[in-house]
Amino acid sequence: MNSPAQPNRSEQMEIDASAKWPVLVLFGSAVVWLILGGALQLIAAIQLHTPSFLADCEWFTHGRVAPAAQNALVYGWGFNSALGFGLWLMARLSFASLRHGGWLIVAAKFWNLGVLLGVAGIMTGASTSFELLEMPRFVTLLLLGSYGLMGAWLVTTFTLRNTENTYASQWYLFGAVFSFPWLYTLAQVMLFTAPVRGTLQAVVDAWYVSGLYGLGFVPVALAAAYYFLPKILGRPVANYYLAPTAFWWLFFATAFTGGSRLIGGPVPAWLATTGAVANFFLIVPVVIIALNLFGTLRGAATGSVTVRFIRWSLFAFLAASLLNFALSLRGFAITAQFTLITALRDWLLLYGCFSTAMFGAAYFIVPRLTGHAWRSSALITAHLGATALGLLLITATLGWAGWEQGRMLNHAATSFTDITKALTPWFTAYSVGLMLLTIGHLAFFVNFFWSLGARCPVTGDATPAVFRAPPAMEVPSA
Amino acid sequence: MKNGLTIFAGIFAIVAASWAGLLLTAHRQYGGLAQYVDALDGNAYPLPLSGLADQGRLVYEDLGCATCHTQQVRRADFGADLDRKWGERQSYARDYIREKTVHLGDSRLGPDLRNVAARGYVDGTFLYKLLYAPHSVAPGTNMPAYPFLFDVRRVNPGQASPLALPFTGRFAPPAGSEVVPTRRAVALAAYLLSLKDTYDYPVERAKNTPPAPEKKGEH
Repeated sequence: MNSPAQPNRSEQMEIDASAKWPVLVLFGSAVVWLILGGALQLIAAIQLHTPSFLADCEWFTHGRVAPAAQNALVYGWGFNSALGFGLWLMARLSFASLRHGGWLIVAAKFWNLGVLLGVAGIMTGASTSFELLEMPRFVTLLLLGSYGLMGAWLVTTFTLRNTENTYASQWYLFGAVFSFPWLYTLAQVMLFTAPVRGTLQAVVDAWYVSGLYGLGFVPVALAAAYYFLPKILGRPVANYYLAPTAFWWLFFATAFTGGSRLIGGPVPAWLATTGAVANFFLIVPVVIIALNLFGTLRGAATGSVTVRFIRWSLFAFLAASLLNFALSLRGFAITAQFTLITALRDWLLLYGCFSTAMFGAAYFIVPRLTGHAWRSSALITAHLGATALGLLLITATLGWAGWEQGRMLNHAATSFTDITKALTPWFTAYSVGLMLLTIGHLAFFVNFFWSLGARCPVTGDATPAVFRAPPAMEVPSA
Repeated sequence: MKNGLTIFAGIFAIVAASWAGLLLTAHRQYGGLAQYVDALDGNAYPLPLSGLADQGRLVYEDLGCATCHTQQVRRADFGADLDRKWGERQSYARDYIREKTVHLGDSRLGPDLRNVAARGYVDGTFLYKLLYAPHSVAPGTNMPAYPFLFDVRRVNPGQASPLALPFTGRFAPPAGSEVVPTRRAVALAAYLLSLKDTYDYPVERAKNTPPAPEKKGEH
């Protein structure tokens, strides 16, 4: 089996109907967090070239607003959209409807309450300052509990599946959903409940951060790519027989990459070495995944918005994998470590790879849940265009500026004033890139809520695949 | 992979192996690292933090200083950390066991702070000036000001605060007022002034210095 099996259409509509409200609530929360987190991120970026911006207000001081933005984007936008997409896809691929969806909505509300308290906690001064675990400890159990409920739903749906086989997207979703609670619990216990001493704390944090990106967000993006490309293009995944190897290899190797983030630091050297080796071994699954997915894409007409977003996601996946490998090598890390390039790596994982895949997924899923098309195709075009431009501009800016920054840092005679001065134009370009992305987010936000309220069934074949009325939507686009 | 249990067990095994292989092994290796007692002066190094400095560590976390500052000096052949005089030697894991929470940081938009107190020009007044008006001591920096760590208040005649910042010129407060650090600023400065890894552990030095090349043809 190398493309998602097709249930009959009425079954599929029944499954979609069972997923409607939980998934729309999760997507709706995700979009709101995307706007909020994006705004905070933009504030933090503006402060790099205009340090007086909002500096007098303690809540918005750079050291608080930057982690607040990152947490809002990871736990607000990231988790909501990943769970919304994951629940929908798992139900579809398992041919099982989502039962008792009301509980999912309750869990989603509690999750969002937890994230809100956590982000507010960071901005009001309760941050722990551990990367991606900055949220104050009082939200931990709230987050874990509500996540447990949603994750259990996804796993149960998989367990109750009515299919003989399982598909690659299901493995990746299952792996992502199942590894997060372990990573989070272990990191919380080792940092706060029974804290380890000294630089071991940095090791725990690096292990968590690399696990969250590599075992959580990237697999969800890959699940989307493995599902939507064959589905929309109407062709099987190329070399699918290699996909199970890639799956296990990717998860196993990624789990050991954490130490490479601490290269050169006051931690045992074998941690960084293990990370470098793991990153090297990742070349194999990355190549297989590229063969699978780019092979499926090759020569296909890419009129579909979803496919175009996912193509960006795949490019970002390759770039981030390459950068991760390079950063674990001493020769590259000597210059690039601690510069904007390390920021670029994480941004490519979370935004370039994961977020674009979720945009693509949302454009496919939402019309099927609401039963009517997206309200405005101009807004979709604006979102796609702004995302593409923003991705290119930010990647070029952070990459180039980070390398210059690293070279200047390694030249002891160059003062910090000179480094700041040289970087300021690049910081401005970075802000412009984030503004472009914000334009895209706003278009997405408006279109999403506008489409929820509107009733505008589309007839005829004047609109692309994603906009057709539900029964026609399953036909592969030309 | 028809069986869900295979995936379940596989993922569980992977996370468990990575936890045991990386975190548990590292913990067993140096989680019990102890202070080193110097036989000459009888002190146990690293010296513990004062209570005020430990409160300052919390302010450091609360304000997110680690967003732009690292606290780790890399070894001589790894970047220009030592050339920049960010430390007399590389940082050792043992240096950090005195702090309840450790923030190595991963961005150097600002300079490394691990040995900030060992720099000749850094004292309390310098840090207060830097926090209140960064441009007064570091022109051209993009470090934000932290005015909320200070009180600007009227001077009672004859009762000026001993901590009032000695500003003149464009950074000076209006006549008749003074800028006084709040308790949090005092704590933060105490923490920063505790960052000074100048003690060189003989054990660590022996471990981290490459052996001298063997001499040949001599007796």
